[in-house]
Amino acid sequence: MSILTLVIVSFIVFSMMELVPGNCAERYIAFKNTQGQNITVEDIRAEERRLGLDKPYLIRAFSWMGDVFFKGEFGDSCILRLNINHLLSDKVWISLGISLAALFFSYLVAIPIGIYSAVSRNPIANNSVRFISYLGLALPSFLLALMIMLTTTVLFGESMSGLFSKEYRDAAWSYAKFMDFMSRAWLPVFILGWAATAFALQTVRALMLDEIGKLYVTAASARGISGRKLLWRYPAKHSLGPVINSLGFDLNRIFNDLPVVALIMTLTEMGALLIDALAFSNDQQLAGAILVVLTATIVFINFVTDIILALMDPRVRQGLMG
Amino acid sequence: MSLLSVENLHLQFDTDEGRITAVEDVSFELNEGEVLGLVGESGSGKSVTAKSLMQLNPSNAVYGPESGIHLELDSGIVEVLSLKKSQELEIVRGGAISMIFQEPMASFAPAITIGNQMVEQLLIHTSLSKKEAAELSVEMLERVGINEPAKRFFQYAFELSGGMRQRAMIAMALSTRPKVLIADEPTTALDVTIQAQVLELMKDLVKEFGMAILFITHDLGVIAQVADRVSVMYLGKIVESGPVREVLHSPVHPYTKGLLNALPKLDALDEPLTPVPGDIPSPLERPPGCVFHTRCPEVIADRCNASIPARADVGHGHAASCFAIKDMEEAA
Repeated sequence: MSILTLVIVSFIVFSMMELVPGNCAERYIAFKNTQGQNITVEDIRAEERRLGLDKPYLIRAFSWMGDVFFKGEFGDSCILRLNINHLLSDKVWISLGISLAALFFSYLVAIPIGIYSAVSRNPIANNSVRFISYLGLALPSFLLALMIMLTTTVLFGESMSGLFSKEYRDAAWSYAKFMDFMSRAWLPVFILGWAATAFALQTVRALMLDEIGKLYVTAASARGISGRKLLWRYPAKHSLGPVINSLGFDLNRIFNDLPVVALIMTLTEMGALLIDALAFSNDQQLAGAILVVLTATIVFINFVTDIILALMDPRVRQGLMG
Repeated sequence: MSLLSVENLHLQFDTDEGRITAVEDVSFELNEGEVLGLVGESGSGKSVTAKSLMQLNPSNAVYGPESGIHLELDSGIVEVLSLKKSQELEIVRGGAISMIFQEPMASFAPAITIGNQMVEQLLIHTSLSKKEAAELSVEMLERVGINEPAKRFFQYAFELSGGMRQRAMIAMALSTRPKVLIADEPTTALDVTIQAQVLELMKDLVKEFGMAILFITHDLGVIAQVADRVSVMYLGKIVESGPVREVLHSPVHPYTKGLLNALPKLDALDEPLTPVPGDIPSPLERPPGCVFHTRCPEVIADRCNASIPARADVGHGHAASCFAIKDMEEAA
């Protein structure tokens, strides 16, 4: 099922790349043209042959998809003339790392606090949780990023932007570079996680309130089960199912926020590259590759969450096994 | 003294709209080996009364200062309403008192096996080991007539049929050998044929285990089958109580009469049904005087809406709270 989704999505992505007027050769030549070179129609045809663009659409679609799935090879970028895998390699991991860390952070905070605020009758704690989470939902992450950067620049005289210190920017990965990365990456993780936390918090709270009202919880306490055992074994366990289910969706949302934050904080990551490729340079090869990587990640996460759900909930298990 | 006695139970709920009275001045007794039926429409306070016995009402429940619930056990008398800590509450929650609910599907946790839920309860209330608790659970499942009990032990509630689930619920409730079983509409969600089986089973188990049952239902037919005594509740008050035959054959309170008249009669199917007129008033607009006077066909002007009728004995342990009865007596 997951694999089928991936194949379909990659086919759609390829078709969309094709639908854009002009092909890779024309675009590259046009790009060269703006650089002052004189180009003839012959040059374009020659370039097309070199790239295999003269072959029929379906054959190219399948050869591209074949490369992607079996070799993990995305070909060359139209404009930059660089190998896409090479171009993306670090950025993929950075983007995914930041997004996943933000996701992890948000659930780490949201699950216990959401459960607590559903159970607790302390009005001060409850209202402050509500206030903070509404703030998180209402405050756009780019505004938060700007505010934090402004504050840190004014207070410490040093901008917190960028993912690496100057000395590590082009260095190969090492322990020191990793630590440097971690010391700076927490900020975008926090900014992205903030909105996701607020959202997840509301979800967890609502689900938990829903579960607590159910008869089986009353029935369990009528059997003498109480305290933490009653809370975690009964409603909490059952309310986390939909939360886990929404992980893939949440990751997608975080990833959508990422480019904006990245732009402000001058991070080098994949989302920013995607926008650049789509909106500015019209680099369809590159944009397509990024979209496929993104879809693959989300499909993979959905696959994993399905497995976790099946392990947790016998009803889901029965649904899967038939 | 009887096994369980409830005295002057007053119960209100704190809500945003103010304090709502759910139970007012309810007293009853339950003896060993006896089935007491608690009858009333929805909203009459019967479930809330039953949950008070285990302190299961939500935290906005306020018990009146004169309310008392006493449970007489071999180890001494337990004042249920003064239990505070969860460890103390275990005595009435699944220990000496067990409860089964209307929806057997909803009362099992969906993602925990039936066996696990049974064992968990036994580990809290008994000194059995895990293995012994599991053996006892399978034994109980077998006792309530579940086929392949060892297999059911590892199954989830959604894998069982409705009747089987309620049997499993009964097995779980009885596994700790409670003195009192509260059955809150236990057969309402079941088919009529299954309902009869479950009722039979419950009657057998009362005898075998020598316990008492507080049987809550709105169904007078079910009451006639299982109960020894019955108390009829309306808007949080017991309006009539007595031995089941007495109350059902010669009801004296207009509300009980109305309930019995509202039942379709098998020998006169063409006769129109005669429902109790009007609706239950909103709990926010509790009528003064006799709570039933707004719907009562025998209402006495300027009296029923002004003062609360006292409980009057009409003989054979049969009593009701109504001014109309006293007038009958005075006239006689």
